[in-house]
Amino acid sequence: MKIGLEVHVGLPTKTKLFCRCKAYATEPNTAICPICTGLPGAKPMLNKKALELSVDISNALNCTIEKETSFVRKVYFYPDLPKSFQITQKDMPVGHSGTLKINNKVIGIRRIQLEEDPAKILREDNYTLIDYNRSGQPLVEIVTEPDITSEDELRVFMNELKSILYYLGVDVDQDIKADLNISLSDSRVEIKNVTGLKNLIDAAKYEIQRQEKLIKEKQKISQETRSYSEAKLSTISSREKESDEEYGFIFEPDLTTYSLQSIKPKEPVYVSEIAKEYSKKYHVNESQLLEIISFDKTSLKIIQSFAGKYEMKSILNAILSFKRYGKSELKEKFIEKAIKLIEKGSYLDGEVISALEKGKEININNNVVNTDEIDSEIRSIINKNKQLLEDYKTNKKAMNSVIGMVLKKFKTNPRIISERLEYILSNEFKV
Amino acid sequence: MNSYEEFSKKDKPTDYFIKLSEELSKLNEELNAFNVISESSKINKFPISVKDNLCIKDMETTASSKILKSYIPPFDATVVSKIRGKNNFSFLGKTNMDEFGFGSFGVNSEKCPKNPFNTSYVSGGSSSGSAIATSILKYHISIAESTGGSISTPSAFCGVVGFTPTYGSVSRYGLIDYSNSLDKIGIMARNSNDIRFMYDIIKGKDSYDTTCVDVKCNNENNKTIILIDELIKGINPEIEKSFLELVDNFSKMGYKIKHKSLPFIEKAIASYYIIAMAEASTNLAKYTGFKYGFKNENISEKYNEFFTTSRSNFGKEAKRRLVLGTFVRSASVKDMYYSKALKTRTLLINELSKVLNEGFILSPVMPIKTPKFDEINKFSPLEVYKTDILTIPPNLCGFPHIAFPYKYLNGMPLGAQLITKHWNDYAIIDIVFEWENNFKYNFKYNLGSL
Ligand SMILES: [Zn+2]
Repeated sequence: MKIGLEVHVGLPTKTKLFCRCKAYATEPNTAICPICTGLPGAKPMLNKKALELSVDISNALNCTIEKETSFVRKVYFYPDLPKSFQITQKDMPVGHSGTLKINNKVIGIRRIQLEEDPAKILREDNYTLIDYNRSGQPLVEIVTEPDITSEDELRVFMNELKSILYYLGVDVDQDIKADLNISLSDSRVEIKNVTGLKNLIDAAKYEIQRQEKLIKEKQKISQETRSYSEAKLSTISSREKESDEEYGFIFEPDLTTYSLQSIKPKEPVYVSEIAKEYSKKYHVNESQLLEIISFDKTSLKIIQSFAGKYEMKSILNAILSFKRYGKSELKEKFIEKAIKLIEKGSYLDGEVISALEKGKEININNNVVNTDEIDSEIRSIINKNKQLLEDYKTNKKAMNSVIGMVLKKFKTNPRIISERLEYILSNEFKV
Repeated sequence: MNSYEEFSKKDKPTDYFIKLSEELSKLNEELNAFNVISESSKINKFPISVKDNLCIKDMETTASSKILKSYIPPFDATVVSKIRGKNNFSFLGKTNMDEFGFGSFGVNSEKCPKNPFNTSYVSGGSSSGSAIATSILKYHISIAESTGGSISTPSAFCGVVGFTPTYGSVSRYGLIDYSNSLDKIGIMARNSNDIRFMYDIIKGKDSYDTTCVDVKCNNENNKTIILIDELIKGINPEIEKSFLELVDNFSKMGYKIKHKSLPFIEKAIASYYIIAMAEASTNLAKYTGFKYGFKNENISEKYNEFFTTSRSNFGKEAKRRLVLGTFVRSASVKDMYYSKALKTRTLLINELSKVLNEGFILSPVMPIKTPKFDEINKFSPLEVYKTDILTIPPNLCGFPHIAFPYKYLNGMPLGAQLITKHWNDYAIIDIVFEWENNFKYNFKYNLGSL
């Protein structure tokens, strides 16, 4: 199985790629001008910030960055394309021949190019609306080699890529868009315009199943373009007329060639490498650590500054507790106080976190408890009396007796016992 | 003294502009110089006309194409706003042209422009109306545009001075594109002083046109005129005879005359038409009748049918260039045509730069005499393209060049063209000034004289 991707990433610039209109304006058709609506006589001018961001991305994905880059016109007729051509890149993209490591494998990055987004089409029953706010918004297209060989690798790749982008300041959670190329045989099937990570994985899953079934039935898989339907959870054949022959790319003569040598790329962050290194060094769970730091700069900074100074387990525990109960953003000084409490054996519940956030002093003596012992006592009571689980499903109060029993053994705060009980019930007994 | 200064010093009768406007409108019915003439109430300063492919805010701008009918731009082209900013000028109107600039004779326009010296002759194109307006108005400067010779040719046929500056010295923002890497905005006037005066107003960097830069224009003159054998060899014998008299005159003015052979220059025509048509076919793609210009009333048509209906309104030459341009950039033949044409251009720039370091290239503007309308019909499209051999090389390479009248043959003006190296623009304006000390230009009309 071979899977290749063309990922489209919107760049977080203040203005559009080729004009000075505000990017990502919400009220339809309010951020438009002669340039992004393609009026006769208007000419593009390149947003340098977008070029810098595309260099950051190319560098983070280990691409070769040539001395210069330039743009081309890709001609096709569609109502969302006001000039009837898109300004994109072809022979001189910002980056090419890169790599991204996932698990123990290398995925090739064929090219990274900067281009303009077309306008947005809103189809209604008997009419269509066009919002030109999106026309000319900056996009980076990341094209991979067909090196991905499973649904799982696809997920890992996308998470890794998103995390790298996040650390470069390109947060793409909602509107990551991609074209998928999937071939289980000699025929390459392209699925166009899948929006969001969940849909991307689903589309891949259904397309793989479809092709597997055809192979099993000894039917031919045709080389074609398909689209993913979220509602139908399947891919549907779509007719695509244009090919490179018809696009008739020419050099964009209203722009020049742009030097890439003078752009100093931002240092990339590879969270999976950090997670691997720290988990080995400090004996913590790698995937838990990865989950914490993948899309959280503050947590990563806290972990890096406290690593070695405190137990990694305590640092993670403190961060997780704050993430669970905290009302404000993570702050290093509160986390440090929390770590100290944990290291003295204190249990962090909502009340403690809230007190920390308000800067109140915590009398830790009242709160010292070993939650591991509480947890094992809870588990043993429930395991001895499975009927409790059945009762609990209809009557939430059925577990109150458990709290009482544990409280008898450990003379501690009943709120802590109740919280541990709730946690164990939902995470371990799945009720 | 330039015309603007002269005009400013003279006393004008109170009804001067009203009378001018009336006379112009009347003559325009015969000559078709203007697509739009401004309301007389809006003309009260030195009159400037603008080729109809340059956007003027709130004034119909169609590039003489049916497909842009009734299009009113919401913004001024940069040159227009620079002129407006001086507060010394009125925009007289938009001048007629070959549709989108596609033509050498002006005949690719619905309302055919006519030569003011004799209406059975063509005016030349594509900046036809700008040349006619300059030829009939005593006080006037026109903003024209050249892609492959669209300033030199009509200037020569209508007997005015036409200047095409170095590519990149005047902003193209607001110019309706024909071929972006070749389009240059220039000036037509009745003398070299007016050219210099207006050039200083419109040139200079513009953040809205990436290809427009600030480079100091030079004025280097080594008093050497170069004649390229390949440019002279095919021209009409009568033209050749007159042109050699001009060369003699330059010799008397103290210029050294050198002959050079440059066979490669003949590749310029093919390279030019391939690049121009390839770029034009992408520029014309936006005219789908969707947002402006021609209105296709049948809005229930599917998108493909809808824009196809709208696009049937392109003129014949526009359709020809669309088809050829789309073909030469198709993936399977691109290396054979488009990519090769780009390489040829680069080679030609290098070759010609070497020659231009030695002196100025002088030639007639057209290898033929001004044709009559009934002669044009006998030309095949290829024969028409070939008549551009003298104007295409400097246009393809972005070299500054200037056309100026040098003789009147059977009552019709003849024009010659001087070419110089990049950014030496002032030198050729000055040489024409030098020429004007010995030669007086004739005009048939002098509307608005004082
Ligand atoms: Zn805009």
